Amino acid sequence: MTGLTLFTPIRRQWVWMLAVGFPLTRHLPFMRRHILQFNFIKFVRWTIVRELDGERLHYPYLFFESNFDGPWQHYIDAFAYVIPTDIRVTWGRGPGFPAPPPAEPLKAWIAQNSMEGGTYYCAHAEDSTRMVKSALVVRERFDELRRTAAVLGPEEFKAEWERFLSENQAHL
Amino acid sequence: MNGNRVGTAYALTTFARILPGKADELEGYLGSMPKGPESPFARLGMLHIARVQIFRALVHQGPLQKHTDTLQNAHLVFTSTIDGDLDPYLNALAEHVPEADEWWGRCAGYPGRTDVAVFRAWVRDRQVDTGLFQSAIPTASVGDVREALALREDVLDFAVAAQGLDAATLQQRFRSTF
Repeated sequence: MTGLTLFTPIRRQWVWMLAVGFPLTRHLPFMRRHILQFNFIKFVRWTIVRELDGERLHYPYLFFESNFDGPWQHYIDAFAYVIPTDIRVTWGRGPGFPAPPPAEPLKAWIAQNSMEGGTYYCAHAEDSTRMVKSALVVRERFDELRRTAAVLGPEEFKAEWERFLSENQAHL
Repeated sequence: MNGNRVGTAYALTTFARILPGKADELEGYLGSMPKGPESPFARLGMLHIARVQIFRALVHQGPLQKHTDTLQNAHLVFTSTIDGDLDPYLNALAEHVPEADEWWGRCAGYPGRTDVAVFRAWVRDRQVDTGLFQSAIPTASVGDVREALALREDVLDFAVAAQGLDAATLQQRFRSTF
């Protein structure tokens, strides 16, 4: 599991777009699916930071944290080529953003803006997002099988077991 | 709908100003914290992910950025992704993670963990609400995830071991295994 944190300025004239767009996205199921179409993302968040204690800032900032499988370079390739418009709409509200594609300038920008160091903890760090999602599906369906199995004869159970394996082979 | 929450998952994002002269030792402390199961965060059953980081400067984005933001202080970012509500998490943090004194104790105004209500209020004062939070497993607790992963392994092992069994033996083994 990798954690990527970016903290980048937003031009003041565009803050409204993110301030409206984020809540709107929460209410649109197809947008939520769009964000999570990549099966290597476990958790992702965007936060508009308008002030910091003890500072006088010219810009509000966009705090972005994503937790995903594998190195971020692979993750950014997918982002840059599959959802370039989303990326441009979100981070393009800041100055100097290298709109993708191609992915390389975006990678350089992320390397420059990524917050490093500190400490990071994930309770299931060794288990990929796909593995976790599959395991949850298996558990749900296995519970059904277990309930059904209690009332079946041997031949019927065998047929159910084989059907379970066949239907869940992608998750096992 | 609250932007900090999706399903039963909750995203906490906080920023705290680090006291003058404390950033170096805090950075050293965070860098030396145990990882994985030895991490103090592993004591918290509702916690999926936590990150604690320092930043001392804001990156200037080149000639298209008209103004430069120069920080007067270093800041601590503390984020958590939990299952459930924030208050029980903060209570558990106060009770089971004395290491919190190490990172927040070097931040301005930290009241300590003795009075949990005060501790919770201090953390909440530093919280910035999430604009958009998404989770691939929005209703699964850490316990659910671990249980499901273990069950999946058991099912796989059983499937391999049960190949070629007749129906009666298969059912008997299934019942004794699960």
